[in-house]
Amino acid sequence: MNVMITGAAGGLGRALANECGRRGYNLFLTDINEDGLLCIKRGLERQFDVVVATAVCDLTNAESVDKMLDMIDQHGICFDMLLNIAGLDFEGIFMERDREKLVKIVLLNSAAALRITHAAINRRRSGKPFSIVFVSSLASMFPMPLKATYAASKRFLLDFATSLRQELKRKGVSVLTLCPGGMVTTQETMSSIKAQGFWGSITTNPLESIAHNTIDRVLAGKSIYIPGILNRTLSFFGKIIPRSWVAAMIYWRWNKVQSRY
Amino acid sequence: MKTIVITGATSGIGLETAHILAQQGFEVLGIARSEPNSMQAEEKILAGNPKAKVTFFLADLLQQREVVRVADEINQYLNDQCNGELFALINNAGCVRSWYMTTDEGYEQQFALNHLAGFLLTYKLFPALRKAQGRVIMTGSESHKGIKVNWDNIMLLRRYNPLTAYKQSKLCNILFAKGLNDRYSTAGIHAYVVDPGLVYTDIGNKETGGLVNFIWSLRKRYGVSPDVPAKTFAFLCQQEIPPKGLYYCLCKEKDYSRQVTSENANRLFELSERLCDIRYGKV
Repeated sequence: MNVMITGAAGGLGRALANECGRRGYNLFLTDINEDGLLCIKRGLERQFDVVVATAVCDLTNAESVDKMLDMIDQHGICFDMLLNIAGLDFEGIFMERDREKLVKIVLLNSAAALRITHAAINRRRSGKPFSIVFVSSLASMFPMPLKATYAASKRFLLDFATSLRQELKRKGVSVLTLCPGGMVTTQETMSSIKAQGFWGSITTNPLESIAHNTIDRVLAGKSIYIPGILNRTLSFFGKIIPRSWVAAMIYWRWNKVQSRY
Repeated sequence: MKTIVITGATSGIGLETAHILAQQGFEVLGIARSEPNSMQAEEKILAGNPKAKVTFFLADLLQQREVVRVADEINQYLNDQCNGELFALINNAGCVRSWYMTTDEGYEQQFALNHLAGFLLTYKLFPALRKAQGRVIMTGSESHKGIKVNWDNIMLLRRYNPLTAYKQSKLCNILFAKGLNDRYSTAGIHAYVVDPGLVYTDIGNKETGGLVNFIWSLRKRYGVSPDVPAKTFAFLCQQEIPPKGLYYCLCKEKDYSRQVTSENANRLFELSERLCDIRYGKV
């Protein structure tokens, strides 16, 4: 089993790389952080008996991706699974954020995911099933004032994945969308979850079990994975309550949190 | 003047130990994560004893490249100033986490800091320790009892429990000490583990959240002052003839878990060598 992971040097990417390593899958890891990529490669090779290849790549840059794909083709690497993890987020009021940084959210979270998905499916191992995971978010279930761009970019992934799944259903491709709540991946996420108080900690999901379940579920052909009963309940209410009400409620809550954070 | 390296020397048990050892005439090299903290600690140590010799080195020991870098700096210092001799290394830095979090290598953080960092640092400083026939002392815990090392899943990637991870990392400390003694006591190197008891420090409140933070806030109130375990560290450093025991509390030997066998120690030693990509070599 050959697995490509984007954003592999970060929290969820690293946890999934560990999970795949544990299962004995060979890994192709990419990230923009060269140093982090080397470290995780080293860690995986020391722990597990698997092959780990890495490529530094800026997924928002078509040239950089082409260069990586050339490298992949030169080595004749084929894939059985793609984990689209790379993504970013800047919380806050739209008009207070830097314009280009906002655009970058869409470029990485949405556009780059398309680019890499297209490329990876073209390089699937022939005659074998193929699995794709998109990392959307609980935020994709609601319009989210103060996280407007991020939530919309994640909504894009959710809708796109749902459609893609239908297109590829009969071609042996399984598409899963992961919609987690908060995850403690860095010191910063920890303090932001702390700032959200009670609701922050109960919508937070344990990273290691998300990683484990995600792989189980995409292999079982599931379409969506929302970790945690509470998060599933919240997303259910997100569907039945009018979207403008939800937006107003979320604005009220995030505004309070932001003043504390 | 004998030189001692202490990790996590800016607060809690590490700071108190550095303080006492400096007072007793050892040269103390502390390792700290942040400069402001190290300056504060230095001030505090010098306050009671202006002639004390204290130097701080900065490193985030969670990351292996940082361990290697700071060890190189310390070796340089030892060669320049201390005749290349290190009398004792106190692997004290430790952490508690509420969630499964990983280092850059993808290693679980409590295991990485509480055990692997000390394992790697000891290896890097080993030539200097050997030259001085030195001692390696780990800050352990009574919580190392009642648990086995989860050999198939040492990073606890399945069903992570913060307390299990902590307990296991403390069992690893004592297994490491045992492994060192088995290998190198004939070469004059001795390793010990100090059980500090329940101590009033902030270990459970740093970078933790939720339940862990809350429980530790309640629990630490019943803890003793950090100068109590510090005396045990000082005791182990002062003895002219290296004490024979492995596990010490309140300057006395104490029973340890039945899991602490040469077989387990060896197994951990080999696994840790692989995870750090090093080889300790023969006597």
